[in-house]
Amino acid sequence: MFKLPKEVVDLINDPESIKIVATADEKGNPHCAVKDFFTLLEDGNLAFAEEFEGSQTNVNLVRAIWFAKNVELTVRGKDGTTYQIKGKPYKYFYTGPLFEKFYLAAREKWGPDSELAGVWVITPEEVKNETYEVRKKEEDKKHPFFRHLDRSSVRRTKIQNSKSEISN
Amino acid sequence: MDRENSELTFDQVAKKYPDFPRTILRKIDTALRGVVLTEKALERAKEEGALFSGISNKPALLFGALFRDGTWVLGLETYLQQLPCKAIRKGNPYILDVLDGKLWLLDGLPRPFAQDKNVNQSLDAHGLPTRLSARQVFPRAKGRGEPVEEIHFVPIPKYYCKKTSRGIPMSEVVNARFPSSLAITVLHCRFDQEKNLGDPAKAVTCKFCFYATPLFRRKEENYTPESLEDIYETVKEALKEEGRWTSIHLVGGSDPRGMHQNGAYPGNLPREIVKDTSNFISRDKPYEKEVEEDIKVLKTLQKYFGTEKIPVRAIASAFPREQLLRLKEAGLSAYNSHIEVWDEKLFAWICPGKAKYFGRQYWIDSILSAVEIFGRGNVSTQLVAGAELAEPYGFKTIEEALESNLECADFFARNGAYTTFCILWVGQGSVFYAEKQKLPPLEYYVKLAKGFNEIRKKYKLNVGFQDYRRWSNFLDTDLARIDHA
Repeated sequence: MFKLPKEVVDLINDPESIKIVATADEKGNPHCAVKDFFTLLEDGNLAFAEEFEGSQTNVNLVRAIWFAKNVELTVRGKDGTTYQIKGKPYKYFYTGPLFEKFYLAAREKWGPDSELAGVWVITPEEVKNETYEVRKKEEDKKHPFFRHLDRSSVRRTKIQNSKSEISN
Repeated sequence: MDRENSELTFDQVAKKYPDFPRTILRKIDTALRGVVLTEKALERAKEEGALFSGISNKPALLFGALFRDGTWVLGLETYLQQLPCKAIRKGNPYILDVLDGKLWLLDGLPRPFAQDKNVNQSLDAHGLPTRLSARQVFPRAKGRGEPVEEIHFVPIPKYYCKKTSRGIPMSEVVNARFPSSLAITVLHCRFDQEKNLGDPAKAVTCKFCFYATPLFRRKEENYTPESLEDIYETVKEALKEEGRWTSIHLVGGSDPRGMHQNGAYPGNLPREIVKDTSNFISRDKPYEKEVEEDIKVLKTLQKYFGTEKIPVRAIASAFPREQLLRLKEAGLSAYNSHIEVWDEKLFAWICPGKAKYFGRQYWIDSILSAVEIFGRGNVSTQLVAGAELAEPYGFKTIEEALESNLECADFFARNGAYTTFCILWVGQGSVFYAEKQKLPPLEYYVKLAKGFNEIRKKYKLNVGFQDYRRWSNFLDTDLARIDHA
């Protein structure tokens, strides 16, 4: 199984990071939803709680598990570090120990009238660092001419000169 | 299409219907072929708390298993309910085994079976010899068992290990069904009792019915304050398992008895009077006994939930309007009455009890009245799909059977009631088993599931209490999972 790098694992386990699940409907229309309960399982799979049976995310995930479609998970830390994980739904639990753990956590957070439909387990297949600085470097290397001409890296000499002029 | 020569294999059906989910197709196939556990699988079930052995003189009970997507695995019936019967299946059963630490459904030559009561009972139920090697049991199987679907077990409910304050095992008071439902058996079928009076001419049991399940059979004829307290305590205990339960169902067979001429209900009269059903049949208040028992249970549940309307569905006989209103007043949320077979002549042949008490039109009228009372989408009926193909009077072709069943689904949906269907299970004890009736092809159920689901969508009906996790027998309601949004 594809193994997620430690930095990604730490980000997933950080309760303050933002986690977004992206799925697609039958016609390919995208749907994104922020998820609160998200964890890495011992077997390397990712698990997150789905609140509602009738949510667009849940419906899209059912379709994805039935017809082997991909879903995408985005995790973004407080410092802007962002990773995008592509994967396939592997299992859906609505009973048993894993579900119970998530259910009780949801109860604790949202109170006794909260609802939790189930827990989706996703098998990661690919991870990509989507942090701005990292992506910028990648793009600059891959597409050196896809840049605005007034960027400092394009006009480095002149900007440096003008800086030295100001300091003088 | 000729039944005998038109059977496609699993792979052929899967290829022909690429838009039909593979797990639901496999669910149909496990229902038709059955599932047997290996020793390792049984051991895994024990480890995961999915086996319950708290019933004296009974083999351990397996709570159930799910496919990866949460679809219920059919075909495990001999492990689930301990039915004292064999069943007619199609071909070799699937094998549940542990491979590389995971639980897999295998197709093909199996690994060695577990040699205990459960496995032997299951092999026996499939008409296969016990205590033989896998190759001896399946001489015609080719190659090693191919893993086809990963499975996981469902744990036994925690309340199953408890007793009520008067010492009754809670597993006998409220029966957990499927992953998320609690079922209370209100009464057992009187049609079956009528058969037992000794006169075969009086046999009015539905021909597919094998329900002689002593495991959870109620011993009392009527609920008493004490037995109702047992229900109260058991439901209270069950709901301590947070996140486990999503619905309660009142189940049972048909009891057409009304009040006796002297105004008493059957439970309050001597046995010799009660035995003669004709003493209690009244067109004014038919099935009154059944309604009375339902109401007793509903009021007990109302007391527990503390609300007027409670999350309970009754799977019951056809009741007249006045009785349905009484059930609603007692808190019932949804009502399900099984028409079983749609075609008029086949209904009379296959369901003689329902035809006798009080005919197909009576049952249809009751379902339609229920829609007015409980609301559109809160009423449903059920067909036993495959019964209509029974010989010698059943439909001769799949197309005819399909047309009849879809006509039924469309008729009720037009009138606000949803029709589901279960897969015919030809179990020992039923008339169909004695007659060696055959099961329909896999493709038939695919066509039915697709057709029923399309009708449900056309009339915008919810599956409510009968979705994939609340009453997991069905296929069309499994398909509804991608229409909820």
